[in-house]
Amino acid sequence: MTFDFSPVLTYLPTLIQGIGITLLIGVIVALFSVAGGLLVAVISIYTNKVISWPLRAFIWLFMTTPLLLQLYFLYFGLGELILIPAIVVGILGLGFHYMAYNADIFIATIRSVSDGQYEASRSLGFGHGATLFNIILPQALIRAVPQLGNNLILMVKDTSVLSAIGVAELVYASQYAISVSFRPFEFFIVIALIYYAINILMELGQAWLERQTAFRR
Amino acid sequence: MVEVTPLLVKAAWVTIDISVRAIVFGFLVASALVFFRSVKFTPVRWFSRAYVSVVRGTPYFVQLLLIFYGGPTIGLDLDPFTCGVVVGAFNIGAYMSEAIRGAIESVDKGQSEASRSLGLGRLATMVNVVLPQAAGLMIRSIGVLAIVLIKNSSLVSIISVVELTYQAQRLIGSTYKPLEIFAVSALMYIVIIYAVMGIVELAYRRTTRFNAL
Amino acid sequence: MSTNRQTETPMVEITDVHKRFGNLEVLKGINLTVPLGKIISIIGPSGSGKSTLLRSVNHLEVIDSGTITLDGVAVNRPDIKGLAFERHINHIRQNMGMVFQHFNLFPHLSTLDNVTLAPRKLKKMDKKIARELGMELLDRVGLADKADVFPAWLSGGQKQRVAIARALAMQPKVMLFDEATSALDPELVEEVNQVMQSLAKDHMTMLIVTHEMGFARDVSSWAMFMDGGVVVEENTPDKLFTAPDQERTQNFLRKHLGSNL
Repeated sequence: MTFDFSPVLTYLPTLIQGIGITLLIGVIVALFSVAGGLLVAVISIYTNKVISWPLRAFIWLFMTTPLLLQLYFLYFGLGELILIPAIVVGILGLGFHYMAYNADIFIATIRSVSDGQYEASRSLGFGHGATLFNIILPQALIRAVPQLGNNLILMVKDTSVLSAIGVAELVYASQYAISVSFRPFEFFIVIALIYYAINILMELGQAWLERQTAFRR
Repeated sequence: MVEVTPLLVKAAWVTIDISVRAIVFGFLVASALVFFRSVKFTPVRWFSRAYVSVVRGTPYFVQLLLIFYGGPTIGLDLDPFTCGVVVGAFNIGAYMSEAIRGAIESVDKGQSEASRSLGLGRLATMVNVVLPQAAGLMIRSIGVLAIVLIKNSSLVSIISVVELTYQAQRLIGSTYKPLEIFAVSALMYIVIIYAVMGIVELAYRRTTRFNAL
Repeated sequence: MSTNRQTETPMVEITDVHKRFGNLEVLKGINLTVPLGKIISIIGPSGSGKSTLLRSVNHLEVIDSGTITLDGVAVNRPDIKGLAFERHINHIRQNMGMVFQHFNLFPHLSTLDNVTLAPRKLKKMDKKIARELGMELLDRVGLADKADVFPAWLSGGQKQRVAIARALAMQPKVMLFDEATSALDPELVEEVNQVMQSLAKDHMTMLIVTHEMGFARDVSSWAMFMDGGVVVEENTPDKLFTAPDQERTQNFLRKHLGSNL
C-alpha cells in the first residue's frame, strides 16, 4: 500500500480547469433554479388549476425520481431531436431538478406569510402585484434561506453526477489523468477534499446569510 | 413496451435489494457513530464528528468512485454490488447518525432526569424512557434519508450494477424510446418510494400511539 | 349632537349594508355616518359584526348590498370589475388608514421603511423627503429612536404605534382602528391610547372598533352598540355609557364595565 500523489500535481492544471467548470455550472444552476423555483411557486399558487396542476405534477415528478435517470432522459431524449452539447443538457437537467426542490420550498414559505401581511399592504393602497412583490415574496425569500442553502449545497455536490453524461466538470476532467497515471485512489481523495472545501465555504456562507436575515423574520 | 417491462422489473428488484441492505447496514454504522459521540475518550468523539462532516461534505458519487476504483490501492477489492451496498451504508450512516441524535435530543431533558431520579441507569433510561419517545421522529427522518438513498442508488449504474437506472439507460440507447422507458422506470421508482413512505407512516403510528393527537 | 349632525360634512357614510358568510348574516342593514373630524366608536360583543363592518369600509370584506362612501366616493363598485376596480380600490385605500389588532407590521422592513414604504412606492416620494416624513411620524408616536430597528425587536405597544405611523404616512382622510389594543398586554394599552388621543386632539376623523369602554367614552363624539349584526343603540358616549335605553346594551355594559357604570 504505497501512495503517490505526484501525478495529481502533474495534472493540477486539468483539475483546476475542472473546478472552474464545476463552479461555473454551480453558479448558473443556482441562479436558474432559485429564480425558476420562485417563478414556478408563484405561478402555481396564484393561478387557476389548469396552469397550477401541471406545475405541481412537474415538481412532484422531479422530486420522486433520481437525478441520473432525469439526466439520461434529457440527454438521450433531447439528443434525439437536436444536437446540444452535454454541458447544456447537464445545466438544464440539474437546473430543472433543483428548480422543483426550490419551488417546493417557496410554495411552503409563501403560504407561511400570514394573511394579515397581505391585508395590511392592501389597506395601504398597494395592488395585488405590488403586494406580492414588496411584501409577500421578500418575506418568503427570507424564510426560505436555510432550506435554500441546504439545497444549493446538495446541488453543488450533485454537479459530479453530470460526469455520467460527459460534462467536463471536476470528476470527468480527472478521468483521463486517472486512466493514464493509474492512480485513482489519490485522485479521488484529492477530488473529495476539493468538494469538501467548497462545501465548507458554502456552509459558512449559508450561516452568514442566515445571521443576516434572522431578525427580519 | 411489453418486452422491456420484465427487464425493468428485474432491475427494480436489484435497486430494492441494494437499498434495503444499505439501509440496514447504514443503521448499524449510524448507531456506532452515535455511540462514539457519547464515549468519554475524546479522540473517538472527535473521529465520529469528523467522519460525519467529511461524508456529508463530499459527493456520494465521488465516494462511490473512490472506493470502487481506488479501493484496490488500499487492499479493498469489492465487486460492484457489494461496493454499492458498502458505500451506501457508510454514506447514509453519517446522515442517519445526525437524525438519531436529533431525535434523542428532542426528548425533554426532564424525562431522563425523572428516570435517573427513580434510580434507573444511563442505559436503562435510554432504552426505556428516551428511545421510545424519540422513535417517532427518528423513524420519519430515517424514512426521508431512505428515500434519498433509493434515488442515489441509481448512481451505482456507473460501476455497472444492473439496477433500474442502468437498465433504463441501456434500453433508451437500444430502443430509442426515451419517453416510454423513462415513464416505466420513473413509475417504478415512484412505487418503491411510496411503499417506503407507507411503511414509515405505519411504523410512525405504532411508535407514537401514546400521543394524544 | 344628533340634531346638528345633519350640518356636518360626512367623511364616511354607510347605508343599509348587508353582509353574510354562507348562511350566517353578520351585517343586517347597518347605517352609520362618520362626520369630518369626529370620532365614532363601535362597541359590542365578539361576533356582533363590528369588525366585519370596519373591514368592509376598507373593502377587506366585500359587502353583499348597501353602499359605503368615503368623502362622497363609493367604496364598493359592483359596476366596475377587474383592473379598473383594482385601480379604484387602491386609490380609495390610500385615503384610509387601517390599524389591525395584530399590527401586521412588515417583518422584513425596518421600522422606518414600514412607515415610508407606501409614500415612496405609491406617491413616488423622494427617498430623502420620505425619510423626513417617516422620522416625523415616528417622533409623533414617540419612536424616533427605533427608526432603524426591525419589528421583531419591538414590544407589542411599540409595534402598534409604528403601525399607526405607517397608516398616517399616506395622510389619510379617515383612520380605522380594528381593536387596536386587544392583543396587547394591559400595561402596554395606555401608550397606544395616548397616541390615539393625540390624533383626536388634531381632529383626525376616526372610526374605532374597541373593547376599551373607558377609552371609547373619553375620546369619542358618538358611540354605537352593535349586537347580532344590527345597531342596537347609538348615542353620545355620555348617554350610551351611563344611561343606555336598551336592555341588551345595559347587560353588555354591566358585564364589561362592572362597578364603573
